[in-house]
Amino acid sequence: MPRPSNPSIDAAVDGLSDWGIETFVHVPSSHSAPLIRALQARGVTDVLANREEEAVGIAGGLAMTGVKAAIVMQDNGFGNALTALTTFAAAYHVGVPIVANTRGGLGEYNAMIHVFSEHVPALLAAVGIRVDTLGPADPPHLWRTTVRASAELAVMTRRPIVTLLDVLHPALEEAS
Amino acid sequence: MKRIEALAAIDEVFVGDPLVITCGASAREMASIARRNTHLPLLDSMGLAGPVGLGIALGTDRPVGVIEGDGAVLMGLQMLATIKAQSPPNLTLIILDNHQHASADLMNSQAADGVSLAGASRGLGLLTIEVDDVDGLAAAARDARDSDQVTVIVADIEPGNTAGIPFLLADPAVLGDSFRRSFAEPSS
Repeated sequence: MPRPSNPSIDAAVDGLSDWGIETFVHVPSSHSAPLIRALQARGVTDVLANREEEAVGIAGGLAMTGVKAAIVMQDNGFGNALTALTTFAAAYHVGVPIVANTRGGLGEYNAMIHVFSEHVPALLAAVGIRVDTLGPADPPHLWRTTVRASAELAVMTRRPIVTLLDVLHPALEEAS
Repeated sequence: MKRIEALAAIDEVFVGDPLVITCGASAREMASIARRNTHLPLLDSMGLAGPVGLGIALGTDRPVGVIEGDGAVLMGLQMLATIKAQSPPNLTLIILDNHQHASADLMNSQAADGVSLAGASRGLGLLTIEVDDVDGLAAAARDARDSDQVTVIVADIEPGNTAGIPFLLADPAVLGDSFRRSFAEPSS
C-alpha cells in the first residue's frame, strides 16, 4: 500500500530543490509516488521511463547537456539498471544523482522482494557506485542535507551516486 | 546500401550536431569515417543510444541524431514509446536495419522473422520514414533534421560488417568529456 508523504520524504524533496533540480526521470513506483508528485507540484520537469536502464540513459543524456537531472526509482530496479549505470554513466563520467526508495526491510508487505532488494547496497558497492542510506533514525534535516549533498557530489565527481530512502520503515510513519 | 555508406550519409547531414551512435560495428565504422566531438559513440550499453539521445534532445535546442540498429532497438523497444511520449521536435532516430545482430556473430535478429520496427514505430504514433538507399536516407535525414517533429527513419541496409575496421579503443571518459564540451561550441 502506498504511503502518503511525510516530513522525511518532504525533506528529501527539499534537498533536491536545494540542489536546483531541473528535470527528473522516474520509473513507476507507488512508494516513490509521494516524492514524484511533490516534485511535479513544484514544477520540476519530469520524464516517465518504463525501465530503469532507460531512465539512466535519459537522465545521463540530459546531464551531458548541463541540465541538473536526477532519477527517482525503486531499489529493485537496480537489477535492470546495472549495465547502463556502469557501462554508460560511470564509464562516461556522467554525474547523475539517483534517489531510490528501498523495499524488503522492516515494514515490508511483499514476501518476495527482499530477495533482491536487501542486496542492493552490496550490489552497488560491488560495481563501485557510492550509496548513502537514510532511514527513520535520521532526522528530516539530515535527509534534506544528504540528498542535496549527494546530488552535488554526483555532478562534481561526474558519476552516478545513489541515495536510498527507507520509506517503508514503520517508525517513519509513526514519526509523521 | 552498406552500413558504412549509411553512416557516411548520416554524418554528413548531422555534421556539427550531437549524434549518438550505438555500440559495436556501428560505432567502429563511424569512427573510421569521422571522429568528432559532437559524436557520442557508445562502446557498450546496447539499446541505450535512443534513451541517451532522447535525454540530449530534451536538454538542448540543437538538432540531435541517434543511430540505432534493429537489434539494439529490440533490446530496448520501450524507447520508442518514451520517445513518442516526449516527442522532442529536434530528435531524429535512425534505425539501421540489417535484420541481424551483426556485432554478435551475425546472428539473425527478430527483424528477420517478420518483426517490423517501422510498423511498431508507426503503431506508437511516431512519424516513420522507410528508406532503402543512400540517397533516400540522406534526403530523409535532412528533412527530419530540419523539421520540427520527432522522426524515426528505418533504413534497410545490407547484412554484415565492413572488413578491416579496427576496434574503437577510446577512453569513454574522454569521449564523454569531448561530447560535453561540444555544447560550448557554436552549432553549425
